[in-house]
Amino acid sequence: MLEASGLMVFYENMLALNNVALRCGEDEIVGVFGANSAGKSTLMYALSGIMLDVEKKERMAGGERITLAGEVRYRGRDIMNLKASKRARLGIVLCPERRRLFKESTVLENLKIGAYLATAAQAKETLAYVFKIFPALEKLKTRLSGFLSGGEQQMLAIGRALMAQPKILLLDEPLLGLSPLMQAMLMRAVREIRDERRIAIIVTEQYARPVMPIVDYAFILENGSAVLEGVRDDLMDNPDVKAAYFGV
Amino acid sequence: MDILVYGTINSVALALYALGFALVYGVSRLPNFAHGALYVLSGFITWSALNTLGLPYPLAILLALLATAVIGAVIYQFVLIRVRGMEISEIIASYAIALAILEGIRYVGFRGMTYTLPVFLEGRTTIGGVMVDYHRLLVVAIGAALFAGLWAFTRFTRVGLALRGMAQDERAAMMLGIDSDLMAVVAMALGSALAALAAILLLPLGNIVVESGYNVLILAIAVCIVGGIGSWFGAVIAAFIIGFAQILTVVYLGTHFQMMVALLAIILTLILKPSGLFGQQKELEERV
Repeated sequence: MLEASGLMVFYENMLALNNVALRCGEDEIVGVFGANSAGKSTLMYALSGIMLDVEKKERMAGGERITLAGEVRYRGRDIMNLKASKRARLGIVLCPERRRLFKESTVLENLKIGAYLATAAQAKETLAYVFKIFPALEKLKTRLSGFLSGGEQQMLAIGRALMAQPKILLLDEPLLGLSPLMQAMLMRAVREIRDERRIAIIVTEQYARPVMPIVDYAFILENGSAVLEGVRDDLMDNPDVKAAYFGV
Repeated sequence: MDILVYGTINSVALALYALGFALVYGVSRLPNFAHGALYVLSGFITWSALNTLGLPYPLAILLALLATAVIGAVIYQFVLIRVRGMEISEIIASYAIALAILEGIRYVGFRGMTYTLPVFLEGRTTIGGVMVDYHRLLVVAIGAALFAGLWAFTRFTRVGLALRGMAQDERAAMMLGIDSDLMAVVAMALGSALAALAAILLLPLGNIVVESGYNVLILAIAVCIVGGIGSWFGAVIAAFIIGFAQILTVVYLGTHFQMMVALLAIILTLILKPSGLFGQQKELEERV
């Protein structure tokens, strides 16, 4: 469904992504694991098209020179030069690292802003669905989103992304800084979203243990290159992976 | 009582000046220094539509609103978009446009104190012993309706919500499918239309003179800085603070100190609380 090949991103002369190939099929959950600065967020920015905006802003301000190369295909169509809002319209929606909620808006408003691409009927239906999988949000509807706890903020970020009617959801480090209990709850919710709404999901994380149980296929990034990939069980049996990402 | 009535009227006028400027800055972080020029320009468009084309007043107003909105959008789409994100260039470019518009108007021959727009309603009444003409009351009423309308627009409509999302985090908005370039054009058109609306409401109270373009710009900037740049609610509160301060100085010090109040307010705000009353200018704090 979403397929990247030969993806390269340079910041000046620093290679942030080196010849990365990645694919995610329909209804699949794909995990991307890697340490800090392995290139996970750069990859998500490249897939969602935000990188084009970063590149443009840097160029206009005379800042870092960013170079993008390679190919991103969505359902066979080359989308490498499509800007982020257009990709979102196709159904590629990024739920970014550190959530980036609209902090001066209430929970409900965040969800409403998220529904920009949805029809009125879709928005209503998705809102009910978001409150069903995250009942905590319904009680906090009128609270400013900046005042939520980390877990609640993450639920809202995922909910807001769902409002945009994604066909493939990119979750960038959704578990960052959350308690193990909250992590498990979120991962259950992510699987439920895939099963019930038939949305493909790519999820990145530093630490594989809480995410591994729900993924179908996984990639491991190191210094900007995809060094390992495989179906979940193969990777879990790999001693290198165990040592690096499971803390065994 | 004088102070209360005229303070309120003056404050609403200031808020009207500032609203368009605050909207454009809030959404696309663009300090639109052509705001005052658009204000004067729409005044002359209305005047020309009335006197040269001979259109009826409501039609002339509608034409001026639409024309100014389109001019604002065109200025953004063809000039300002090229310097987007470079603050100094944005100020220089938009100020250059302001000069071109204002001096262009002067060049065409609109000089002196002879240009006036008719008031909407003739006549006057007294409130608590103070004489007020109907038009000033109408300005307050329409101003209040406009604030309420804008509040509802940014909370209950798709485009309004998208504008608010973009004002808070442009990139997060893009991830949700909001086209930031399109929204910036919409904001600029809306901001220009607000400048035009302010002109149409307030110019009948005096003459249309080119110089007022510069004053309106300074007042709009003063209100936005005091209120916290980017905060619409802050702008309205600041308009009332500066508006009443101006009327108080007029009553107790003299008319010629009026403009000083706005400039003094800018200086005081920058010394005491650089982010303004309700500002969310965190980058500034981080940089310091």
